[in-house]
Amino acid sequence: MNSRILTIISRGQSENPVKRQLESDLGDALEKIDGSRTLIIPNLYDLPIGGDVVQAIRAWDGPIVVYAWLFERAARWVLDRNGISGHEGEVLLKSEDDDEDEVTNEDDEEEKERVLAARELPKRRIYCVNLRDAQSVEPFAEEFQRIAQVSSEDELHAWIDRDVPLHQMQRFLQPTNDTALNTNAEAANVQVPVLKFDESPGRRWYPVIDFSRCTNCMECIDFCLFGVYGVDTIDTILVEQPDNCRKGCPACSRVCPENAIIFPQHKTPAIAGADVEVGGLKIDLSRLFGAPDEDATKVAARERDEQLVMAGRDAVGLSVGIPKRQADKPVEPKDDLDNLIDGLDDLDL
Amino acid sequence: MSNELVFMMGEFEAKFPLDRQYAKNHMWGQAQPDGTIRFGFTAYAVRLLQDVYFLDWTIDAGVDLTERQEIGAIESKKAESDLFAPIAGQLTQFNEQLLSDPSGINVDKYSDGWLFDIQGDSVGLLSTEQYLEHLVGVWEITQRTIKGQMNQ
Repeated sequence: MNSRILTIISRGQSENPVKRQLESDLGDALEKIDGSRTLIIPNLYDLPIGGDVVQAIRAWDGPIVVYAWLFERAARWVLDRNGISGHEGEVLLKSEDDDEDEVTNEDDEEEKERVLAARELPKRRIYCVNLRDAQSVEPFAEEFQRIAQVSSEDELHAWIDRDVPLHQMQRFLQPTNDTALNTNAEAANVQVPVLKFDESPGRRWYPVIDFSRCTNCMECIDFCLFGVYGVDTIDTILVEQPDNCRKGCPACSRVCPENAIIFPQHKTPAIAGADVEVGGLKIDLSRLFGAPDEDATKVAARERDEQLVMAGRDAVGLSVGIPKRQADKPVEPKDDLDNLIDGLDDLDL
Repeated sequence: MSNELVFMMGEFEAKFPLDRQYAKNHMWGQAQPDGTIRFGFTAYAVRLLQDVYFLDWTIDAGVDLTERQEIGAIESKKAESDLFAPIAGQLTQFNEQLLSDPSGINVDKYSDGWLFDIQGDSVGLLSTEQYLEHLVGVWEITQRTIKGQMNQ
């Protein structure tokens, strides 16, 4: 049943031999697993929209497993922007550092309307695996086996109309008597060779929107002065002109109130699409060690000004497209957090 | 009579020699015979960083600095930080040995693990007592930063 899954290995931008080896070893390993079909492609993020590789993947409507040197969210939404979407498949393979102190504040999340909620997704699942999460092929291959198992159960559930007694399903998946069809053995006879796309697109730099976070607030389109953003026919934000984006500039992601804008190649994990801001990453002591007190909006305005000047235009500072989020907020008594933050300002660190 | 003061960082005794001055960004400064001021990390900073893996300077020796100008970055097992000039002045030299092996910071922070020399005015630096008062003020915030990155 694994032949029902398309596996994509997205090569990194880096020529690091260790990474290259892992990519090709993984291709070899997956080729040997049941009849899985595997594509090795150039860096997913760099692929031109509508190019051959994208067309090939778009033609597939079953589940997809993507191995990329990208955070899961980044890979998922790059695919989505290329017209390859589906429900999020749960990936259990995580880097070892990740699981300490993982704080999820889901309870505190305000209920907001996300763009994704209004969209209808194809029924299939897309599983995005970050190749930085393990150092050898085995964990990745094991994760594939697990996903294949989950995926075939999924399929079974969809196929037989719910309410299947558990024992019956188990028997179907692992038949014990000789007269049963051994689907796994049959599939194993079919080895589909790895298909490799060798074209090397130039490096690109553009934002990717995570629509499970985006609320369509339009702050990014107001902020960006390079015409990257636009809206679709139903007035939903989209990255309309990705290649208008200024290389290295992540400023719009800093002004996004929902942290929905990803620059997959940015050095800061939170901007590159890491799920949790601190989980597994190092503590940043810069504020304690004398960093100037510059908030994200000021950094964004500075970065934008640098790009404007480089493009031969005038710097605009904070005068254009900066939302005054707190402006119409009624005055309320300060709570503990307000006091704490005020205390930080007073503290001349 | 003791030649150092101690600040308790939880269970940890951070010690600060009396023979030098201190900057609020957790560096010590000590006048050198050539008239420059030598800087290094205090026990407070080193305790926060723990094992230093990587040190990098983004400016060259000989450059004139303003106070709190960004001059480099440090990465340790547990933390990372940009680094900033403790005072204004001309940075005359870096401790080259630390660039190949930054663990000198952990081994001997108050002597061989020095960071750089600056030709400048020490007037803004604190005495050991003043620095300890400063620590009393920032310790709470430091702990919060470590525990939750201010819940960002």
